[in-house]
Amino acid sequence: MTPAVARIDELVLTGPAGGVVVDVPAVSGERGAVVALVGPSGAGKSTALRSMLGVLPDGLTCRAGRVRVLEHEVLGLDPVRLRRLRRHHIALVDQDPASRLNPRMRVRHLLAELAARPGPGELRRLLTDVCLPADDEMLARRPHQLSGGQQRRLALARALARRPDLLLLDEPTAGLDPSLGAEIGLLVRELADRHDMAVILASHDGDLVGRIADRVIELRIPSRAPVPSPPPVAVPSASAVPLPAPAPPTIMAPPPPVAAAVPPPAPAPTPAGGAASRAGRPVRAAARRTPALIMRRLRARTGRRGRTILHDVELELGAGAAHAVIGPSGAGKTTLARAITGLHPHAEGVVELDGQPLPLRLARRTGEQRRLIQLVPQDPLGALNPVRTVGAVLARPMRLHRRVDPADVPSRVERLLADVALPAETVTRLPHELSGGQRQRVALARALAADPAVLVCDEVTSALDAPTAQALMELLMRLREERGLAVVLVSHDLDLVARHCDTACSIDRGRISWAGRAGAVLQRG
Amino acid sequence: MRTALRLLPAGLIAVIALAGPLLAPSPIDAPVAAPYALPGPGVPLGADELGRNVLSRVLAGGRELLLTSLVVACLVTVAAALLGTAAALRPALGRIVERVADVMILLPAVLAVLLVVLSWQGGGRVALVTAAVAVGLPYAIRVVCAAAAPIAGSGYVEAAVAGGERLPQLVWREVLPNLRATLLILLGLRFVAAVYVVTTAAFLELGPQPPAADWALMVRENAPGILLNPWAVVVPSLAIGVLALSVQTAAEVLAPRSGRQVVARL
Repeated sequence: MTPAVARIDELVLTGPAGGVVVDVPAVSGERGAVVALVGPSGAGKSTALRSMLGVLPDGLTCRAGRVRVLEHEVLGLDPVRLRRLRRHHIALVDQDPASRLNPRMRVRHLLAELAARPGPGELRRLLTDVCLPADDEMLARRPHQLSGGQQRRLALARALARRPDLLLLDEPTAGLDPSLGAEIGLLVRELADRHDMAVILASHDGDLVGRIADRVIELRIPSRAPVPSPPPVAVPSASAVPLPAPAPPTIMAPPPPVAAAVPPPAPAPTPAGGAASRAGRPVRAAARRTPALIMRRLRARTGRRGRTILHDVELELGAGAAHAVIGPSGAGKTTLARAITGLHPHAEGVVELDGQPLPLRLARRTGEQRRLIQLVPQDPLGALNPVRTVGAVLARPMRLHRRVDPADVPSRVERLLADVALPAETVTRLPHELSGGQRQRVALARALAADPAVLVCDEVTSALDAPTAQALMELLMRLREERGLAVVLVSHDLDLVARHCDTACSIDRGRISWAGRAGAVLQRG
Repeated sequence: MRTALRLLPAGLIAVIALAGPLLAPSPIDAPVAAPYALPGPGVPLGADELGRNVLSRVLAGGRELLLTSLVVACLVTVAAALLGTAAALRPALGRIVERVADVMILLPAVLAVLLVVLSWQGGGRVALVTAAVAVGLPYAIRVVCAAAAPIAGSGYVEAAVAGGERLPQLVWREVLPNLRATLLILLGLRFVAAVYVVTTAAFLELGPQPPAADWALMVRENAPGILLNPWAVVVPSLAIGVLALSVQTAAEVLAPRSGRQVVARL
């Protein structure tokens, strides 16, 4: 038995008020082994990974526990030795790699600054390892010219370039499509086997964990007695997640009983009237005019004279319908989502909302038009103002658009938080006090607070565990029924798409390569 | 505790400057000793060119400098915060604001003060403040513009724009709260610069007129007798220096530590 490269002997962190915020069980990682940390969003997976770098979240104090990496006690290690340890022996790829990449550096330099032998061959090998095209064009790009999934793979390549002893991965496959996720998983497994690396990863991807992990360690949200209402995640408890044995691909998301209540997918809405196709269904908000989103010949470029990244994309969406956009990483899904919302500055084409033409530039849209289409962005870290509390973030759209009586705002905020399965105490939190999955849900709640007609979700479930993702999708389902909310869902999770969407299209290199019923995406392979 | 210690000099000098006139042992405009008399009983810092008590005049001479500089620094910082942030959020407006600022930077401070104060007869302190603001604003705007640019491009500002927020709300709610540290440091810097402009004006006798007590004016008046009673020059000079530095230190202490990062620092 090789000695552990990293080991945590139960780590208990308490908040300012003295309550236990994070309780990490014993974790140890040996050379050649892949250890997976699983558990609900907010259980402390990221905190556990970061503790191995000797970092604890601000405002939390360590009440019990020791963290040892390569025979060093990292909590309280002197700065010089800690830096040496981080520089030569540990690599972390965290949840939001985009914010870790210097925007002014090209891919070439981002890799070369860390590579053990920064020759051109080595850089190409690193890119090939993470399934990125190993050509000069890619090496010359800057981070903002990469898609979310490509940025994530670049960050992984940077971590590998240092040949660390301990590789820490936080949600390595979030935002990647399944086939790519599988390849990254294989790569990680191979790294552990071939280079004798110790890998510890935190993931919600049960499929990935099942395939590559030698050991699975489950983290739980510590029970805090004074919390008035437990998070209403009415889903199979976390213990349903299979622990010791490698899980078959679908087991992470057992169809819960609620799913049976979901109406069968509606037929694809016809261009003439998205509302008409729903005539047979009881829509309670039928009195309200049901807007439909239509996009015709949508093109987008990277700049005024830049590359075209979307070619003649067409999209039709009836009120209350859910349309999924799938496709490989870097195909243009996020650009499409941003173009619908008006955030992509170099787009042309026709967008109609409720029969009214909609300007493509956000600046030309009226306040009401902006309210009707809301985007939940892919990057939950950057999307929340670091100095505004969750309560202020959620109350603002309600006050701005005067959709809610001012006296009712606090109760609406509370309900919204309950809807996205966050505890009521979240109201007073600041974004840096939330986990990645919690931030994602706050961003979703903010979009819903504006009471939109069309909700564009860009990978909203990528940082969520299966039960929470399930709860969110059910919320969207309910809103579709009650208010005729139309949903555009950009996702890699084919299972989720098949279960909750009506129609789907696949984008490949900026073109729609396939469109049809969402149920068919699984058969497409 | 260390914070309090670093705030102490600023507090002390502010109290002396504001309450000084009340503490002065003798009238500021009545001779009490021989001209340029060395320190002795009743005159701990000696006497100035007209035999007036230097201690009294030092105690009385800081108030106007402190208040004028503070007003200038606050005006410059607030105006720069609003204009600079708006410029960062609206590139079209930003280009105009920055070009104007670039041109104004070319204007030498002394020349600007001379121009405004001499052409504005009877403008008094208002004219001086106007000149100092005009001189300080361009630099401050460039600083705020640069600091606000990355925030203007951030996801949460984008989300606010997409949510239908208007420019004043973006400036006030989304960007400025994230610039608190920068703005406090800028306030301290602009205070130092304002002290520089206001003392220069006093030196040129464009500000307070004799027989008023003023630190900068004292340095000018007593410079000829520096070998007879050095304290009459050294003490007001030191007071000006300490005032400028202590406010800057205090601003640094009060500025929040590198803002609230979304991600814990590594």
